[in-house]
Amino acid sequence: MRKQTLLFLALMLPACLAFGGGYQLNLQGLRQLAMGGGGTAMPWDASTMFYNPGGLSRLDNFQANGSILFIVPSTQYVNDVTGVSARTQNKVFTPFNVYLGGPIKKAGGLGVGVAVYTPFGSGTYWDNNWTGRYAIQNIELQTIFIQPTVSYKFCDEVSVGVGVVIGTGNVKLSKAIPIQDANGNDGEANLKGNANGLGYNVGLSFKASESLHFGVSYRSRVDMRVKSGTANFTTATAIASQFPNTSFDATLPCPEVLSVGAAWKPIEKLTVQVDFNLTGWNAYDTLAFNYSAPVNGSMRSASARLYQNRIVSRVGANYQASEHLALMIGGAYDPSPVRDGYVTPDLPDANRIVLTGGFTYRIVSKLTLMAAVEYVTSAKRNGVSNETGFSGRYQNKAITPGIGLSYDF
Amino acid sequence: MNTKQLLIGGLAVLAFAGCKPHLDTQAFNNGGLDFTRYVAVGNSLTAGYANNSLCRSSQMSSYPSILAQQFSAFGGGAFLQPLLKSEVGFPGPKLILGYTTDSVTGVTSLGPIPDPAPSDNAGDEANIAAQGPFNNLGVPGIRAIDFLIPGYGSLNPYAKRFFSSMTARPLAELGRMNPTFFTAWIGNNDVLGYATSGGSGTINGGFLDQNSISNSTLFAVALDSVVNRMTAGGAKGVLLSIPDVTAIPFFTTIPYNGLVLTRQGQVDSLNGAYTGTGITFKLGQNPFIIVDNSVPLIKRRPMVEGEYVCLTVPQASLKAGLGSIQPIPGQYILDATEVGNVRSATATFNGMIAQEAAAHNLAFVNMGAFLSTLSSGILYNGVNYNAQFVTGGAFSLDGVHLTPRGYAFAANEIIRNINAFYGANIPMVDVNAYHGLAFP
Repeated sequence: MRKQTLLFLALMLPACLAFGGGYQLNLQGLRQLAMGGGGTAMPWDASTMFYNPGGLSRLDNFQANGSILFIVPSTQYVNDVTGVSARTQNKVFTPFNVYLGGPIKKAGGLGVGVAVYTPFGSGTYWDNNWTGRYAIQNIELQTIFIQPTVSYKFCDEVSVGVGVVIGTGNVKLSKAIPIQDANGNDGEANLKGNANGLGYNVGLSFKASESLHFGVSYRSRVDMRVKSGTANFTTATAIASQFPNTSFDATLPCPEVLSVGAAWKPIEKLTVQVDFNLTGWNAYDTLAFNYSAPVNGSMRSASARLYQNRIVSRVGANYQASEHLALMIGGAYDPSPVRDGYVTPDLPDANRIVLTGGFTYRIVSKLTLMAAVEYVTSAKRNGVSNETGFSGRYQNKAITPGIGLSYDF
Repeated sequence: MNTKQLLIGGLAVLAFAGCKPHLDTQAFNNGGLDFTRYVAVGNSLTAGYANNSLCRSSQMSSYPSILAQQFSAFGGGAFLQPLLKSEVGFPGPKLILGYTTDSVTGVTSLGPIPDPAPSDNAGDEANIAAQGPFNNLGVPGIRAIDFLIPGYGSLNPYAKRFFSSMTARPLAELGRMNPTFFTAWIGNNDVLGYATSGGSGTINGGFLDQNSISNSTLFAVALDSVVNRMTAGGAKGVLLSIPDVTAIPFFTTIPYNGLVLTRQGQVDSLNGAYTGTGITFKLGQNPFIIVDNSVPLIKRRPMVEGEYVCLTVPQASLKAGLGSIQPIPGQYILDATEVGNVRSATATFNGMIAQEAAAHNLAFVNMGAFLSTLSSGILYNGVNYNAQFVTGGAFSLDGVHLTPRGYAFAANEIIRNINAFYGANIPMVDVNAYHGLAFP
């Protein structure tokens, strides 16, 4: 009798993987970042390969452009029933990007280039014994997209571009298993794996006049597939056979994004631009892990996400203060794709307000220094995860400085 | 430090402060309750009994201890418990999860076994009343009616440890600390002793009938005496009801139809043995055969749904013919009549407790409803808790008492009722911060 009752342990499996808005980084170019993250209409520099590949053939020069950013995300959790409060550990993540490309000939029709950028690359680290440890202890996703790109300018007004996206990256997460050993220690699940995926990026750039520019771009969904990731479990010996160390497959969709933008120059030195990004978050319907050996009696653990598509609005301005110096400022409103009932502590997403600023300084004729900073603050969200019953209030903030150089050939 | 360093440092501090989220925690309050001297009255559940024994760590995670911890931030005073030294258990060893090999089948399985560690309770039997008075007056085994028995302190090994008088009534102990706030969870054993002995006694038991349901008049007098004593100094408090004991794992773990026949040979031989009795067997699940003296000649019958097998039934014997060839004796079975007696007495006693709470304007906690909620499952911060044996996480290995996490749930239920009744807002505890069952 007793033996039978011990066979089935009602546990939560490590199914949760939520890469909400906070994991999608819009940090692919410092100029664009400094203007609220938009850049669909105006090909500011070689990083237009990300924002709108159609703009590449419109650049004045072939250009090398690179930057590195330092994100320090911070989340606070408060439970109003127990009074428990927790904060994520301070971890610095360093997304980067490198672009090499432009028109083959000055004022020619064809532009080529290659872009390397990190569209997702952040993590959430709670203390291992925190109150939500059975939902998540820590999670991190790093992706690098490599995008060879061609662009063609039909005429002064219209150019198009297309890039093939080759995605690679890795994911890891840890959570506690609610069965304690003789010393009172929880079990632990550690999953990690490399992920790969393919996609594309197309865009159209339209220069209506010297002072009015439009653009539209579409970045496809990239299904980052984890094949044979490692799933390691540490548990009390008595239940170790139910938690064998095994491997898993999973698919983490990086959502599609449709962007439209407009840029206007009311005076020669000032550019004002707006962008709208429709993000196909509904790709996050369910996240499933398929194990190669049964974990707690099950080959698969799935977690409903039911994310909603969202439109991010961005506005920014660039002011050419002098021959050498340009100043930028911007902001964005990034509504959360996460529905009520699906707010999880791995990334407790909420509507976010983004404020940015930056400058570029031409050091010598071909070399320009770029710097930008992004400040993101989320609404205070009172949320619950139906899957784990974990609830509370959350707030996220992150400050992200970045620095880079561009060189015109 | 020059001006430039100061400026850079200042900017860094500003940037750092600005990028930290800031959530205000809720304003908690005690609703005007005075927790200076919180006293808990009760039985084993109040003492922190678990895994069929009492030990120091289980006392530390008793629900009164958990409550006192929460009260401490709202004017709560010290909370003194009659702590044991023993970790293995007093007077006998606690149960732990361990391996046993079945002598019949040779199969080794995980289950409750007495803690094989050498006993460490030497000296724990000594009376420590001089260290009192104590805030936790939980006495394992005590019934409501026992509060009226003079000399009870000499009869109960736990009471003997910390009662100040071996001749007085337990009621007298309640007067030692003039409480400002109290909880009283009494009456469980006035039903439980009858139930766990398979309904051995009567339904109108007096002081000496441990296996009977207590006489309801005596119960009413005892209850009223306890509450009067606790409220004599104007203390506010909480009365807890008696949960339906037939919902605890002690009775729900072994199903009435747990006789599983896997081979036709078993079925045939049992049918042969029971030829002419009207009792037949089939492959799969069958009701256990139990003793019933009202059945002519064979004095046995199959169990029916709604009857319960006690967890104390010798389980090795179940595999060796008990419950099939041999009927299970009545001391291990709560039959339909006995279940009815238990439920009706529980309802009667709970009615009295509710009435007593109302008469003294005290909070009333419906622990029966709480146990129902637990039985149907509580999803708590990523863990599924329920009232199942071992896997449910809330009940300890004796199937009657709770794990530290189970006691934390009970404490939260009490806090919820205190908050509602007294208009307080005392924080609940994080249940997962306490221990569950330990697996080897």
